[in-house]
Amino acid sequence: MNTDSQKKTLTFDNVSKTYGDITALNKLSFSIAEGELYGLIGPNGAGKTTSIRLLLGLERPSEGRIEILGHSPSNRAHYSEIGYMPQETSLYIELTVEENLELFGRLYGLDRSALKNKISELLAFVELTERRKTVVANLSGGMKHRASLAVALLPEPKLLILDEPTVGVDPELRQGFWSRFAEMQKKGITILITTHYMDEAAHCHRVGLISSGHLIAQGTPNALLKESQAKNLEEAFLKLIKREAIK
Amino acid sequence: MSLKRTLAITKKQFLSIGHDPRSLALMILAPIMAMLIFGFAFGTQPEHVKVVIVNHDHGTLASQFINKINHTDLDITTSTNKSEAKNQVKNGQSVAAIIFPNDFTADALPRLAPRGGQLLPPKGTKITVFLDTTDQQLSAVVNSSLAAASQKMESGSGSSLPITFSTDYAFPKAKDAGYINYFAAGIMVFAITVFTTLLTLLAFVGERTSGTLDRLRITPANETEIVVGYELAFGAIAAVQGILLLAVAYFVYHILIIGSVFLAGLLIVLTAIDAQIIGVLISAAAKRESQAVQFLPFIIFPVFLLSGIFIPVQSLPNWLRPFSYVLPTTWAIDGIRDVLLRGWGLSHIWPHLLILLGFAVILSTLAIVGLKRNRQ
Repeated sequence: MNTDSQKKTLTFDNVSKTYGDITALNKLSFSIAEGELYGLIGPNGAGKTTSIRLLLGLERPSEGRIEILGHSPSNRAHYSEIGYMPQETSLYIELTVEENLELFGRLYGLDRSALKNKISELLAFVELTERRKTVVANLSGGMKHRASLAVALLPEPKLLILDEPTVGVDPELRQGFWSRFAEMQKKGITILITTHYMDEAAHCHRVGLISSGHLIAQGTPNALLKESQAKNLEEAFLKLIKREAIK
Repeated sequence: MSLKRTLAITKKQFLSIGHDPRSLALMILAPIMAMLIFGFAFGTQPEHVKVVIVNHDHGTLASQFINKINHTDLDITTSTNKSEAKNQVKNGQSVAAIIFPNDFTADALPRLAPRGGQLLPPKGTKITVFLDTTDQQLSAVVNSSLAAASQKMESGSGSSLPITFSTDYAFPKAKDAGYINYFAAGIMVFAITVFTTLLTLLAFVGERTSGTLDRLRITPANETEIVVGYELAFGAIAAVQGILLLAVAYFVYHILIIGSVFLAGLLIVLTAIDAQIIGVLISAAAKRESQAVQFLPFIIFPVFLLSGIFIPVQSLPNWLRPFSYVLPTTWAIDGIRDVLLRGWGLSHIWPHLLILLGFAVILSTLAIVGLKRNRQ
């Protein structure tokens, strides 16, 4: 995918974020085209979650500019076009799966009948129809993740932001998640996904490798392999980090 | 049992505390604060109880009597008009109106017989005390101060003076109100405040730590909707709690309910809303539930001791009293007592409602601004 010729869904332009003496992001720049599945890949502490918090307007950058769906992150006008699945399950564990979906559906302004249909559709998609009346606290870890994904999909988002959605998820479910993400991307949803599992990068159209708050390389998985002359993305990442350090 | 392992556990605990300076500060400050407030609040007697004196005496005895009154116990103002003085008591501006009649001196001293120079015994005179008994601790100070002044007069003159007291009640229905009537309003407000603050505090810290607050904030729901949404829920819960507490107080303790239950309920709901927002505000300073709970003594002790639950605000030291007035609970308790025991309606209670509403608006604004600032 060539982002230059396509409409951009989000842009980071020289974005830095500092917390006291700690630099979490250092002049981070990248953009994602409409309909793209983009993976922001990097080790723990690289700045992936900070990037997402800035993108969602939960924090403000110390420097630089961010644009999301044509707006500044703090502009609420686009909030109903974003689906967000946080790293933690972030659901009301004392409520049932269905009650969580109803709550967020109402916050997104869905009317009663549309919401009812949407909930049934999403529960089927994440295979939790049988568990709709189960209190979230009583679900397994994988089920909680699936319920969280269903909440993220409630607003029929143009942009889906997934912060490490596969952390702590067993391999079978991880595979299932990636199938679902591909399915959503085919429907035209732009997806930004962060992960520290390098092998998952292969599922993305393009990948941005982030380390110490800085983008060290960007491109399609094949292009990155070629550029680094590595056998797999994990090796590519290590080689690219080394190259960056020498610079 | 291994001493080494045991000490390792002990050391771990000290290390945890050492790494959390806020907890350490709270551990040191909370007991000191509790001790100080308990000492100052319970270590003093009610003083400066407001009374108004109407002296119609043509002689000098009433003035002498007034001079014998302990002016630290009673804060005396004067009036020339009996009705005006009584109104001051009815409006809660004074605890008592003390009225000396025209012939107070003449009737208290021996008089000459109409025919001849024979001295007749004094006719006897009386001081009328128009008393507000809704706060028994304060009305007791009035009675004891007058009795002490009377004794001083007698010891000064060397003989007993025929002075009696006649008490009229500003709120006759509350004439025999026991301490429970005074106490009930305070304990209702205390229970609702602590319960609501704790619940909101834990709920909001939970929202922050579990990430649900962030999830809410990236929906179209704004901070105002989130805070007001919570307020409505806790307001409704408080309304039910208030009704239940009033029912228990009425049916179990047979407390007096002279005024409108609805108005008392409204005060309770506003109290809960204020308490709820305080919980939201404190939650911003706590990173986890265990830290949040450490803040509770800073709510419980001031509310318990400075709101007038047990000790009238008037009996607190002057420097401590302003702290009472910045607590919403002080206004709530005062208002509920006025409604239940004095039977006051909206025309008297509106300042209390307005103040509680003002607290709600100011605290809500702070909570909303605080949530928005988290976006920085």
